[in-house]
Amino acid sequence: MSTFVEKLRQYRKPGYYDKFDYHWTMTIDLDRCTGCEACMVACQAENNLPIVGEKRFAENREIKWIRIERYWEGEYPDVKMRFIPMLCQHCDDAPCETACPVFATYHNQDGLNTQIYNRCIGTRTCAVYCPYEVRYFNWFTYTWDEPLEQQLNPDVTVREKGVMEKCTFCIQRIRIAKDNAKDDDRRRVRDGEVVPACVQSCPTEALVFGNSNDPEAKVSKMMKNPRGYKVLEELNTTPSIVYLTKVHS
Amino acid sequence: MSKISRRDLLQYIGAGGIGVVGGVLYGESVQQNVELLIPQVVPPEDYSPGVATWYNTVCNQCPAGCGISVRIREGKAKKIEGNPVHPVSQGRTCARGQAGLNALYNPDRIRTPLQNVGQRGSGNFEEISWDEALTTVGSRIGRLKIDNEASRVRLLCGRVRGHLDELFLQFMNLLGSDHYQQYDFTYPSALMAANKMSFGTDVLPYYDIRNAVFLLSFGADYLGTWISPVHHSLAYGHLRQGREGRRGKTIQIEPRMSLSGAAADEWIAARPGTEGLLALGIAHALVSEGHYHGSDRDEWSKALQAYSPSLVSAETEVSEDKILRLAREFGTSTASLAIAGGATAAGTNAVASIVAVNALNYLAGNLSQPGGIIFNPDPAFSATAGSRQAGFQGMLDLIGAMKAGDVDVLLVHDTNPVFALPDNVGFRQAMQNVPLIIALSSFRDETTEMADLILPTSTYLESWGDDVPDPGVGFPVASISQPVVATLYDTLPVGDIVLSLARQIGGELPIHMRWGTMEEFIKERWREEYDQRGSEGEEQEFEAFWQAALEAGVWGQPGAVAGDQPVPLSSSMIASIADPVSRFAGDESDYPFVLHPYLTATFFDGRGANLPWLQEMPDPMTSVVYGSWVELNPVTADELGIREGDVLDVESPAGSVRVPALIFPAIRPGVVAIPVGQGHAAYGRYARDRGVNPIHIVATLIDDQSGDLAWAATRVKLKLTGERLQIIKTDGVTRTLGRQILGPENDHA
Amino acid sequence: MFDHGQPSYAEVNKDVLSVMLETGPKYWMLLGTTMSVAGICFFMPWIYQLFVGVGAAGMNRNAVWGSYLSNFIFWIGLSHSGTLLSAVLHITNSPWRKAIYRSAEAMTLFSLMTAAMFVMVHLGRVWFVHWSFPIPNQMGLWPNFRSPLMFDVMAITTYLTASSIFIYMGSVPDFAAVRDASTGLRRRLYTIFSFGWRGTAREWHTLGWAYTFFAIFVIPLAVSVHSIVSWDFALSIVPGLHHTIFAPYFVCGAIFSGTAGIVTVMYCLRKFLNFERYIGQVHLDSLGKLLITLSLIWSYINILELFSSWYGGTSFELEALQFKLTGFYAPLYWEMILFCAFVPLLILFKKIRWSWNKMLVISILINVGMLTERFIIVATSQPRKFLPDAFGFYFPSWIELSITVGAFAIFATLFLIFIKWVPAISIYEVKETLKPLRRDA
Ligand code: SF4
Ligand code: SF4
Repeated sequence: MSTFVEKLRQYRKPGYYDKFDYHWTMTIDLDRCTGCEACMVACQAENNLPIVGEKRFAENREIKWIRIERYWEGEYPDVKMRFIPMLCQHCDDAPCETACPVFATYHNQDGLNTQIYNRCIGTRTCAVYCPYEVRYFNWFTYTWDEPLEQQLNPDVTVREKGVMEKCTFCIQRIRIAKDNAKDDDRRRVRDGEVVPACVQSCPTEALVFGNSNDPEAKVSKMMKNPRGYKVLEELNTTPSIVYLTKVHS
Repeated sequence: MSKISRRDLLQYIGAGGIGVVGGVLYGESVQQNVELLIPQVVPPEDYSPGVATWYNTVCNQCPAGCGISVRIREGKAKKIEGNPVHPVSQGRTCARGQAGLNALYNPDRIRTPLQNVGQRGSGNFEEISWDEALTTVGSRIGRLKIDNEASRVRLLCGRVRGHLDELFLQFMNLLGSDHYQQYDFTYPSALMAANKMSFGTDVLPYYDIRNAVFLLSFGADYLGTWISPVHHSLAYGHLRQGREGRRGKTIQIEPRMSLSGAAADEWIAARPGTEGLLALGIAHALVSEGHYHGSDRDEWSKALQAYSPSLVSAETEVSEDKILRLAREFGTSTASLAIAGGATAAGTNAVASIVAVNALNYLAGNLSQPGGIIFNPDPAFSATAGSRQAGFQGMLDLIGAMKAGDVDVLLVHDTNPVFALPDNVGFRQAMQNVPLIIALSSFRDETTEMADLILPTSTYLESWGDDVPDPGVGFPVASISQPVVATLYDTLPVGDIVLSLARQIGGELPIHMRWGTMEEFIKERWREEYDQRGSEGEEQEFEAFWQAALEAGVWGQPGAVAGDQPVPLSSSMIASIADPVSRFAGDESDYPFVLHPYLTATFFDGRGANLPWLQEMPDPMTSVVYGSWVELNPVTADELGIREGDVLDVESPAGSVRVPALIFPAIRPGVVAIPVGQGHAAYGRYARDRGVNPIHIVATLIDDQSGDLAWAATRVKLKLTGERLQIIKTDGVTRTLGRQILGPENDHA
Repeated sequence: MFDHGQPSYAEVNKDVLSVMLETGPKYWMLLGTTMSVAGICFFMPWIYQLFVGVGAAGMNRNAVWGSYLSNFIFWIGLSHSGTLLSAVLHITNSPWRKAIYRSAEAMTLFSLMTAAMFVMVHLGRVWFVHWSFPIPNQMGLWPNFRSPLMFDVMAITTYLTASSIFIYMGSVPDFAAVRDASTGLRRRLYTIFSFGWRGTAREWHTLGWAYTFFAIFVIPLAVSVHSIVSWDFALSIVPGLHHTIFAPYFVCGAIFSGTAGIVTVMYCLRKFLNFERYIGQVHLDSLGKLLITLSLIWSYINILELFSSWYGGTSFELEALQFKLTGFYAPLYWEMILFCAFVPLLILFKKIRWSWNKMLVISILINVGMLTERFIIVATSQPRKFLPDAFGFYFPSWIELSITVGAFAIFATLFLIFIKWVPAISIYEVKETLKPLRRDA
């Protein structure tokens, strides 16, 4: 019992995950992002996001693991539009993780907030608890008009009705990179070897992804940028995504 | 082991047989699609289950010519990413490029040759065989050729570059018809014409946004739709944060905020149609404030005399201070660049406006400088493809010819003039006069629907081809496109269709066009190209080169930067300066609003509307999906008592469309904007009967100098219909409500 | 205590047992109606929803919780007065409890069951609901005990078990009475049900002792159940829900609506089962006073909640507050305030308190108000959380509305079945309150 308590305590300590090999992290430079939404379509292609149809959009039931939020500032003529890509922040203190009664969502040793579709029973509590509203529920089982289904990525599950889903940081790509590293007799994945679909496509290179445990990684350097901040930091969710604010001139 | 008698054995076999047959029947009836785990017993080359292969090819979703890599698994295309070694896309893609897979696997693709059996345009098609189809076309054209009437055959294409263009040209030449034209709504005719006037060049220059420090964009949505959005986005990222301690600045001048306007540090809504004037005002200030030191300073100040900032300010409704400030920043920044596009390049003054912008670049001294305008060398091949652009004037001529009965056979490929021309020019009606219309197309768009015969083309992901990005990137580049998957249906790559037709028609055509397939043709041409460039060598060497080029998907000579292009004479530039103020169709008192149609980052000019991923991609500025809308300034809307979702009749002198209103904070009062792209009457299940097409109500004013359609020069009036329609948006509240979502305020430059 | 003169022992037996033993066509019609309403309004839409997915309901991306959960809280709330009240009154020795507690406890049981139905309806994949129980399996997968939902599962199953035992235990002597009054199969059944109760002094003693023990045990349990239900919300960081006051708020609201529910049920028992003799003015008066008290506490907590939202001063809380008070659902909010804070004040007047009809109306209004309260909690906060761009809206679909209605039919069906199987009034305890030794006429 006491070892159990001990372990639990350790586990809850901040920095617990640093002991492990990786801590996948993303930085998003809002000064680069133009709101072009290439990342959204890239994600849809990579992760088998359903084509939900007009009706479902009207009901506000779309599924977009990464979305662009828009905020207006000021009024005409001094009006400004600000974009901010919003995806699962892979919080280190994720409110969604405590909520799931069946452990369908949990934190893995790489610092990822993972979602096990098979285990999900659909209470949707995680989505209520997530302050970033990046969890998407399968209200229906979606189908693809033939032959669109031929495009589906065989590395990613197609989800059925009743399960929650969200950004995985393209865990399938992480897996492949780790496998490759292992095959090459390397202990670690090289910086830049794992690129999630959104990061890969972003035409302005606003997104940077990598292992923040590696001080040499590009992402670690980006995180040190004085423009860095975390969205809704005051909620203490300790997100893994660092945003760099847009520069106002 | 017990003995089995012969009789038993027969019984067993019989029973087994029945069982097997029954089982098969049962299986067939229950499971319609039997999918085999590994479809081929002998897998094709490069096929190993579970292992992905990447093929490089060229994107065809817009004319930028980005290189792409396609991920293939088990013979199916899974993902499109940018080709990392391609100089245009550098490993990146836009949303439209990604959605190319939706075109390949589109459920509404044409799968076999089709023949119209009902009335023309009724959409009643019957499947026929390729033999039949090719014989019909071949004999018809062949007869015209024999009768020396081949000039009654016309070929209309979209923006075709590379050797496919040459193939078309050769085909038509051998036929004896010089009516090979291209029509692309987005072709920057005005820009070409203006550059010809200012710089004397026929080739689009390279705008080096990457190295610019101060970017002044007159209406050009360079991040969304203008010329080469992915490349510009890469450049933009670099301009902002790519240089240590030196953040570039961008200014956008346009009446309705585009993606580039949103990204800009300052968005200026000058009076529509006066953007060119504003450029001249800035030019005036540049010279008069002493930011220009050239020897021809006096000539310039004389030429610009009439455009003093105070006068320009009154016309453009941009304050004099602002003009002076812009001039100062433009004049003093180390690398300033001005570009023009969008509505600025679509007034009746388009060429004059762009010339004015070109003058700015000249005065900033950025020609052939890093961060300025870099003149491209002549493209590796297909230098003349642009000259086949019909432009609006050319289309009017074609319509005239069709109406006059001068056209017997119309071949259409990859262009959709029924959609992308104003309604009242009557392209569709004119088509009724053409006895035989043949569409070479993958989708049944509005123009294809009008065909008598559809020859289904394979998509770009199933075809051979090559391309020269236009504009180039400052050095010679050519890309190869190769099929990344096996052809899905009974379709042929368009090049192969042309070659088959040539064989069918006979005569000297098959003698000159002797290639069996497009692949052969391309390879041969590349070989010639290779030999010409002085690298004549062994067979082996070319094969190696060809393999390398195929693997890379691109061939280029980054070293050969054309930095030493002659700087154009200032006299010609000064001479070409004209008063750039646009006229508008419609009287201001009757039609109080200026209509601002704009290309969208989602559908471009409408060609993306049949791709479900793009339909489901929220419009970047408004988050609307699946529909059209008309944007109004909040104050205007208030005055007229219009709320979001009120359906309005937007009436121009040329027609009207019915579309719901959307209140948009970043549009000039007095301007209403409708996105281009939706409003298809055909084009498959995702596009059909959705939204409206503003091009249809554009009045047919043309640009004075280039003859192109001035699609941003129409006035409209609005009428409330009393109906309401839900605009489907993904956004909730688009104000931060004081929450620190966008980060703490700061000014790290 | 008895409005229509005191009955004799035999009369008590006869009155109560006749309800069970004599079944007229009216009963069957009523049962038929409630069952078919339950079938058509609840089960058919639910089956449809099972086939297409939870999308049949009006929930969406921003509002992933909807009326199923608000109904769940409502029914849990309704369950609160029965057992809790019965237990509290038992240990405080209030004699007026005796005529009403059996039905009140039944109400607890059935509303808990109805609530549990809503959990099922709510789930995306109800066919895996057993995963939320700690059932050992070969995969070594265990539920997550940090999840408030897990607390819920534990609390509700415990409460359900305890309440069932409580009501059963109290009914044993009555089962024996049924056994004695019946013949044939029924007699054999009730022999089993009554555990061979003979009414010896030792048996009475044991029953009394065990009953008191359970009464004490059940009270904290009831309080904890609704506190835990409130934590489903309060433990989230959703503005408008993340309040420490939520647990007492829910408990108080639950008892409030439960008590009102008892008034409604009492009215029906009186009216339709001819229990006028046993359920009289005393009961109404006491329940009325209880309602006023609870209503005042409820109002106080409401004010407190508004205050702390306002005092918190963050954009999140203020926005949530503003939306609640003035947004789309504001009419519902004010309706709730009217029905739960102001209407109960009428009970202060004796004229109203003593009138069964008026009290019925008030009790129903209170429960309408409480149903809305639950709906507001779900519908106003959670679709509008932190990122304004992701603000959404929730409106229930017809399927949800139908299921909401159907739930009442389920409840009524269960109750109707109950009155045929268990004496709806505790015979022996009513007898305890009679003046002794009044002989039959
Ligand atoms: S792809 Fe990059 S630039 Fe475009 S919206 Fe996404 S993050 Fe922003
Ligand atoms: S962003 Fe939301 S879903 Fe992702 S880990 Fe944090 S709380 Fe969970």
